[in-house]
Parts: sequence; C-alpha cells; structure tokens
Amino acid sequence: MGGLKGKVAIVGIGEVPTGRFPDKPAIYHAVESARLAIKDAGIDKDEIDFVMPTAAMFSFSYVGELTTARIAEELGLKNCQKNCLIFSGGSSGSTGLQMAGSMIASGTANTVLYVHSDKLGTGVTGQGGIDLFSVSGISPEWEVPYGQHYSTVAALSTTRYKYETGCTDEHFAAICVSNRKWAELNPNAFFRKPLSIEEVMESKMLSTPLRAKMSNMLFDGGSAFVVTSAERAQDLPNKPVYVLGEGGIVTHHVFCQEPDISRFGWAQAGKQAFREAGLTPDDIDVAEIYDSYPVYQLIAFEELGFCERGAGGEMFMRGDTWPGGKIPCTTDGGMLSKGHIGAGGGVSLIVEAVRQLMGKAGERQVPNARFAVETGTGGTYMDAQVTIFGTEIP
Amino acid sequence: MDAPQKPVPDVNPWAKPFWEAARENKLIIQKCPDCNQHVFYPRLVCPHCFSENLEWVEASGKGTIYSYTVVKNNSPSAFINDIPYIVALIKLDEGVQMLSNIVECDPDELACDMPVEVTFEKLNDDFTLPKFRPLQT
Repeated sequence: MGGLKGKVAIVGIGEVPTGRFPDKPAIYHAVESARLAIKDAGIDKDEIDFVMPTAAMFSFSYVGELTTARIAEELGLKNCQKNCLIFSGGSSGSTGLQMAGSMIASGTANTVLYVHSDKLGTGVTGQGGIDLFSVSGISPEWEVPYGQHYSTVAALSTTRYKYETGCTDEHFAAICVSNRKWAELNPNAFFRKPLSIEEVMESKMLSTPLRAKMSNMLFDGGSAFVVTSAERAQDLPNKPVYVLGEGGIVTHHVFCQEPDISRFGWAQAGKQAFREAGLTPDDIDVAEIYDSYPVYQLIAFEELGFCERGAGGEMFMRGDTWPGGKIPCTTDGGMLSKGHIGAGGGVSLIVEAVRQLMGKAGERQVPNARFAVETGTGGTYMDAQVTIFGTEIP
Repeated sequence: MDAPQKPVPDVNPWAKPFWEAARENKLIIQKCPDCNQHVFYPRLVCPHCFSENLEWVEASGKGTIYSYTVVKNNSPSAFINDIPYIVALIKLDEGVQMLSNIVECDPDELACDMPVEVTFEKLNDDFTLPKFRPLQT
C-alpha cells in the first residue's frame, strides 16, 4: 500500500462556517467552499478536470444532484472530465484524497476538486437527527431492533475502554474541554464559549457513561480542497502540503462484529502511514484526530503512538493537546465543538491540517508546523484511515 | 410522546432459520464444518475460511457482557417508552459476538465480563428477539 509519498499536494482549501442556516440550501455550502478552495489554490477554475463530491446525509435528492454534476455546473467548470461521488461516511475525506491522489499520480487526472457539504442542523429536526443516526450505518437486522444508535455505540466503547484502562469520565470530559479551547479560536466553529470539565459532567446523561456535552451536535456546513501533482504545486501561491503517507484498514460493518471496540484498527493503520512517511509520532506538530465522541479521539490518539494506552486522558487534562501544548490535537475544535456536519467531520480535519501546515490558521496557528497527521473513520467506526501531511518530503 | 412502532428485523433470506428458531425460543448460529469455527451473524460464506458449507447449530445461550450502556435520554423515537433500557454487546461462549438488550437486571449490577444467558422476548407474532439476563445459577 501507499505510493503517493511526495507525489501529490493539496494546494487550496475552502470552508464555510459550521452552524444553523435555515435559509441556505446545502448546495450553497458546497459551491461556496469549492469557490474558496479554487481561489485559495490560485488556479483557473477550468484547470479542474475531476470533481469529487462526497455524499450528504440529510437528503437523498441532494445526493442525486451531487451525483449528477451539479457542483461542476454551478461553478461553470469547462474542462471537468469526470464527476464521481465518493463516500465512506466519516472517512470520505481520507479515502477521497487517496483516490484523487492516485489518479493524479498515475496521470489519469491533473487537478481534483473534492467537496463536501451537508445540512444536518436545519435539514432535519433534533429527534429526526437521532432517528437518522439510529438507522444510518446501523444494521436493520441485527442492531436497529435493539435500540442501537450512535450514542449507544460510543457508550459501549467508552464503558469497555474505562474497564480496560481505568480511565475516568473526567478524562473524557477533558477531551471535550481541549477541543473547545481550539474552537474558541476558530471563527468557523459553532461552540466558542469556554467549557469546563464540571459543565460536561453536569450535562444530561444520554447513554451511560456518555453525557450530552460528550456528544457531537449536528449542523450545516461544508469544506473543500484542491489536489494536484507535486510538480504543478511548485508554481502555485500556497506552500504545497504533500501527502507523505497513508494507512487504512476496514474492521467491520455491523458494530457487534468489531473484535476490539476499545482499540479498532488504528495501530495497524498508523504504523503503515508513519512507515510510508518515514516519520514517527515525535515528528508530528499537529494531530487532527477524528472526534465524533471523546472516546474515539482518545483511542486513535493513543493507538497512533502519541502515548501509551490509558495515558492519553491525562495529556488532554493537563493541556498537552491544548493551544501551546506539546501535541496540539484537533485544532479546529472538531465535531465536538466546531460541529458535526456528516462526512465533513473528516474532510474539515484534512482542511485544518492543511491550513495549519500552510500557516493560515490565524489565532490558533501552531508555530512552524511542518508535519501533521489526520484520521477519519466512517459508519460505526468501521475503518481506521490515517493520512500524514508535510510541507517537506522526509 | 407516542412512540412509533418498534422496528422489526429486516431479514436476509439466508438468516430466516435464525428468526424462525428465535420464535421457538431457540438461539441458533452457524458453524463451519470445514474450519470448525462458529459464525454470527448468518453469512453466505464462512468469513474465516471462505467455505460455502455453513451449517446451523444450537448455541449454548451462555456468554458474557463485552460492554454495556443504559440508555437514559435521546433514544430513537421507537424506544422512548423503554427508557431506561440496556444495550449490550454479548460474547457467546461459542466465540461470536452479538448486540442485544439485557433484561431482568438492576442496572447497578451490570459489569463487563459478567456472565449472562439468553432469554426470549416476543416482539409480535412474527418476531421474537433473543435477549440476555444475568446467569441464573
């Protein structure tokens, strides 16, 4: 596996704020994010020869529009040779980037526009969102009849993780606090007021031990990036952000089939990515770890090798992952504080990794960031996808 | 609030024997005669050795709780009147895992690796769901 190291780069990123925008249809977020990404890349729009939208979850008819090239048409792309939807839930950004990179490295495409938008904040009701996520990616034969939904999935992982490591609920709350500290500095994040461990611990119990403030909330939003060859990237205005390594493994479809719900496949995927990049976790300046619930951020963080299993909670609590900490983690605030916009949870972490490496992260810029790792996972954490980025090729 | 009707299993044709057995209060799972491993959920091919010769066997119905959670708020609509209810992953003694509910159990007594046994709850005339309760010694 692998093979993209140093061959392709992200050269432009675009993102709209995450929030509740009843008057803005999902296509607005897609077109605006894409427009910003193309502008940021400093390319002519007609250089884009492949448009890769990823699916939205709030509406099947909108997915139909994406499938049938609405974005290419709205943007007036005159040299769009292919439009093809790519979707693996929350890992769509990672898998899409691999597909885009592979086509560019093989010469099948020159410049790929990857776009995501969704309208989960105002396109569905609150209970509608819970009900959507009690069937989407949950087996209608083996799990839906038992009342499984994403809070119970996360709670099952949390319970087992606590049992095996001795980690406490306060550690999970500390992860939410860490992400909020970054969101406070992110104008595109929804939740920007300071959060305390006490507030998380006092929030409503959903499924034990998971509380409301340990759960992501659904919003509208979108983000996009432009990928091209490392060679072409040299002529463009932004510092190229190269793909240095990737690793991935699909471990299950139905959650009950996952053999280790407090580890998953992160260790294997991480080793693969770091080996290809020729780097170790010590080299990483920014870790953009997928955080739909704190337990999943903690598991991936530990399994990638940033610390021993069971030691991560303390790092989030004492500030190692905060602004100014030794390993800044999920620096856009993540799905817990920036907000959950469907598959975009993973896409916006790629955008954020690139933003940090380009030096465009404003108030939350990690000084001199050269290397970043990003993770994505889809469905009920069916896969572990790890991508390593850098502004230089080790 | 009025809860919508409970979702019934959306049955794959090759899983029909499982649901027919459950209706008679029997828990059956697949076993591969070629590699000797048990299989759940029901498959067309053995996920261990790719054999097409999977057979049905009756499971012991005993296992342990791999993990659990008590749902207290924000459940899917159809389960609102069941709150609090317990969702658990069960490791059967045969080595396979399944999701179910724990019943006849004080939530405070729940623990990972706690022994449980199958019991059956009728959902409607067509479906009975295997559920689990603390092992009665």
